[in-house]
Amino acid sequence: MTIEMQRPKTLSTETTEVRVVDSDIHPTPKRGELTPFLPAKFRSLFENRATGAGSPVYYDAPDFAHSFAMRTDSFPADGNFAGSDPDLMFRQVVMEAGCDVLILGPLNGGGQTEEEHHAVTQATNAWQDACWLDSEHNWHQRYRGSIVAAMEHPEAAAREIEHWAGHPCMSQVLIGAELRPAWGDPQYDPVWEAATRNGLPVACHLGRGQHNELPMSPVGFMTYNHDLMVSYSMLAANQVMSLVFDGVFDRFPDLQIVFIEHAFNWLLPLMWRMDAVHAKRGPENGLKRKPSEYVKDHIWCTTQPLDMPEDKLEFTRALEWMEADKLLLFSSDYPHWTFDDPQWVRKHLPLHMQDKIMYQNALEVFKNVPSTVPALPGQKRPL
Amino acid sequence: MATVDEIAPGEHKVVPIGRWGVGVYNVDGRFYAIANYCPHEGGPLCSGRTHGLTVVDPERPGGAAESRAGEFIYCPWHQWGFELATGTTAVKPEWSIRTYPVRVQGSDVIVTA
Amino acid sequence: MGSESQPVVDASVHVFFANDADLRGYLHEPFKSRGYPDVDVAWFAPPDGVRYAPGTEAEAETTGRAFGGAVSTVKGHPGSDPELVGRQLFEERGVDVAVLHPMSNAGILPDWHLGSAIFAGYNRMLVERWLDSGTYADRFRGTIRVNPNDIDGAVREINRWKDHPRVVQIGLPMQTQHPYGRPYFRPLWRAAVEAGLPVAVHIEMGVGITHPPTPSGITRTFSHLTAYQPMTFVWHLLNMIAEGVFEEFPELRIVWADGAADMLTPFIWRMDSFGRPHLEQTPWAPKIPSAYLAEHVYFVHGALDGPGADAEFADEWLRMTGKEDHLLFGSSYPDWQMHSPDDLPRAWTPEQREKVLWRNAARLYGLETPVPASA
Repeated sequence: MTIEMQRPKTLSTETTEVRVVDSDIHPTPKRGELTPFLPAKFRSLFENRATGAGSPVYYDAPDFAHSFAMRTDSFPADGNFAGSDPDLMFRQVVMEAGCDVLILGPLNGGGQTEEEHHAVTQATNAWQDACWLDSEHNWHQRYRGSIVAAMEHPEAAAREIEHWAGHPCMSQVLIGAELRPAWGDPQYDPVWEAATRNGLPVACHLGRGQHNELPMSPVGFMTYNHDLMVSYSMLAANQVMSLVFDGVFDRFPDLQIVFIEHAFNWLLPLMWRMDAVHAKRGPENGLKRKPSEYVKDHIWCTTQPLDMPEDKLEFTRALEWMEADKLLLFSSDYPHWTFDDPQWVRKHLPLHMQDKIMYQNALEVFKNVPSTVPALPGQKRPL
Repeated sequence: MATVDEIAPGEHKVVPIGRWGVGVYNVDGRFYAIANYCPHEGGPLCSGRTHGLTVVDPERPGGAAESRAGEFIYCPWHQWGFELATGTTAVKPEWSIRTYPVRVQGSDVIVTA
Repeated sequence: MGSESQPVVDASVHVFFANDADLRGYLHEPFKSRGYPDVDVAWFAPPDGVRYAPGTEAEAETTGRAFGGAVSTVKGHPGSDPELVGRQLFEERGVDVAVLHPMSNAGILPDWHLGSAIFAGYNRMLVERWLDSGTYADRFRGTIRVNPNDIDGAVREINRWKDHPRVVQIGLPMQTQHPYGRPYFRPLWRAAVEAGLPVAVHIEMGVGITHPPTPSGITRTFSHLTAYQPMTFVWHLLNMIAEGVFEEFPELRIVWADGAADMLTPFIWRMDSFGRPHLEQTPWAPKIPSAYLAEHVYFVHGALDGPGADAEFADEWLRMTGKEDHLLFGSSYPDWQMHSPDDLPRAWTPEQREKVLWRNAARLYGLETPVPASA
C-alpha cells in the first residue's frame, strides 16, 4: 500500500489549499548527525557521556523492546531511528496520511546544566535548519521548524529566539514541560517577551525530566507507563492555572501557548474550576478577566491523544461546551506509537469544528504557515 | 493462496486480497487469516508482532507470565492486540478485526474471502 | 437554607479540637509535650484572613498563649462544639445526617509514632464528644482517622473502632509519600473491607512532610492552590486502578472528600483510551479502567465543583461517567468554602438531586432512609 515517491526535479507550479496542519511531529538526528552542530566545548563531553551508555527508559510503552515507543513501520531501512529520514516522514505523513504542513518538534534532550541545555537547543536549531528545512530536504515546502529554547536559561533562550525569529520556516518556540517552577514564575518572562515580540507562539511538549521533574506527582511516583502518561495532563492543568493565576497573559497580552500531547478534555472542567475559585476570590490575583476567557484567547491544545468515551456523543457534547474550535490544533505525533491519523481525527470532530481544528486555527497561530502549498500528485487528501 | 511450506510456524504472509491485503498466519501448524487493517485507526495490522497474552502468575518473579504465545497480533501503531483465531479481544470484544476461514488442502493453504 | 423538601445528608462536616490545649488533653506523655503544627498555619492561608465561615466559632472562651503570641482569650475553634454545630446543621441548614471528618495534620508528620498518637486522640474525642453524647449524637456519623505512615497501627485503630454503630468510615490523608495503589497500603484496604467501612481521603491541614502540591512545585497564589489541590485524587485513583486494588478488594469503597469529581470524566476517558494497549502490562487489573468506578469511587460535591449553578447542561454532565451515582453532597462546614443545597446546579433532574443529596450517601454509609427534617 505504499506510494512510490520519486523526488521530482522541479516542484509543481500548481498549488493546493492547506487542509491539514500537523502541529506535533518529531524529527530526530541520524547517528552522529547532531554533533557537528554542538558548540565545540561540549562535543567531546557529550560523546564521552554517551560512551558505553545504554537505554535510559524506565516507564516503558507497550512491547518496548520491539517497538521503542514508535510506530514500528516508521523505522528507516538504513538502521537509524524512527523520524530520522526526512523522505520517509514525507512519504508516511504527507503523501500517505495527507498532512499538508508539518510543524516539526525535535525533542533532543541531554543537557545537565543550564548552559548544556542551551547548547543542545542551539545545536538542534542549526541542525533543523541544515538537515530538514533546507531546500534539498524541504523541497516540497511542507516542513516548518521550532525554535527550541532552554527554559533553564531564560536569557539565553530569549537570545536564541531572536537569532532564529526571522527564519522563513521557523514557526514557533518549543520548550519542555517538566521544569520547575511552573510557567507563571516571572523568571521566564524573557522567553515570553522574545516570543511575543516576534509573533511566535510558544509550544510546550512533554519529554520526561529527572528526579522530581520526571514529573513527580504530589503523592510520589506512578507505577506504570499507563498511570504516568495519563496523569501527565495534571502537569499541563497546573501550567494552565499558573499561567492564568500568576498573570502571565496580563503581562504578555499577545502570548499564545500551545500544549502539545497533554490531552485536552480536562480543560473543560478546569475552566469551570478556575472560574469558580475566581468568583470567590478573584480580586486577590489582580486578574482583569475570568480565567476561562484567558484560556480561550491564549491557550491551545493539540488533538493527539484524542481520548473518547464509548459514547461518542458525550465527546461531541464536551467539545461543544468547551468551544473546542477555539482551543484545538490537529496533531499526529508521528512517528510515536500514539500516532493519530488525520482522517480518523477529523471524522470524530463535530462538522462545524473540523476545518478550524484541522487547519484554520493553525493558520492563525503559526504566522508563516501558508494557506496554499505546491500540489503533490498522488497525495492523500483526508475527507 | 500459499503453500504450507511457504509459511513456517510463527511466520506469516500477506496476500493481495481486498483493499488492504490479508495476512495468513501459521501458529504451531494451525493457519489463520486476518485483514491487514486495524479497525482502530487503520494501521497496517500485519506489520505488527505476534505474541501472547499477559496473565497473572503469582508463582513467577514479577507475578506475571505470557500465555498462548504467538496467538495474538498486535498493531504496529497503537499495540492493540487481537486473537488471530477469532479476531477479537478479551478487553473489548466489540472491537474486532475481520478474519477469514482458512483450510489446508494437501500442501495448499486456502483462504475463503 | 433548610428549604429542602427531601432528606439531606451532609457528607463533609469538618470537626476540630477547641484549641491546642484541648487536643493535648487527649494525648498521653511523651506525646503530650511534643511539638507539632496547628491545623491552621500561615503558610498558604487565605490572604483575606477568613479561614472559616462567619458564626461558626464555638461560644466557649479559653484563655491561653498561642504559639509565639501573647496571652489572649479566644473562642473555640469552628467545628469544635457539638451543640453549636448540631444546631447550625440540623436546625438552621436543614441537614438530617452529618458525616463528621476530624481535621488534623497528624497524617503528614515526620514522626509516625506521634502521628498515630494524635490520631488516637482525635478518634477518642470524636466518639466521646460527638457520637456518644450530646443533643445531636443520633444525627452524627463519624470518620476514624488513621495514619498511612504506620500501617500496623492504622489497622489496630480501625479494629478498635469498627464496631461502633456510628462510625461509618475510615479517614486517610490525601498527601502521601506514595500513591495509594502501591502494595504497601494493602493491609489498610483489607482492614477497611473487613470492617465494612468506606475510606475517605481528605487533604490534611497544617504543614508537614509533603511533596510540593503540583508537579511543577509550589503555587504562587492561594487561589491556584485551592483550585488545584483537590485534583490530587487523580494520581491516587489512576494508580489504584492500574495496580489492581479494586480487583483485589472488590468491596473497597473510596470517597474523595475534597471533590473535583468533574476531573473524573476526562481522566477516565483518557485512561480507558490508553488502557487498551497498556492492560498487557497490568494483568492484575484486566478490565477497562472505567469498569472499576461503579460502587468503588465516590466524591464529595463541594463549592468549586460542577459547571456552575446556572449551566443548562449540568444534568447531562452529571450523567457522564456515571457521576450522578458517585457524588455526595458535602458542605465543608465550617470552611470558608462552605456551601448549601441551594448552590447545586438548577438543571439537575429531581432524581439527580435526590441521589446527590442523600440516596448515594445512604447507600454508601448504610444509613436508614433519613427522615426529612421538616416532617
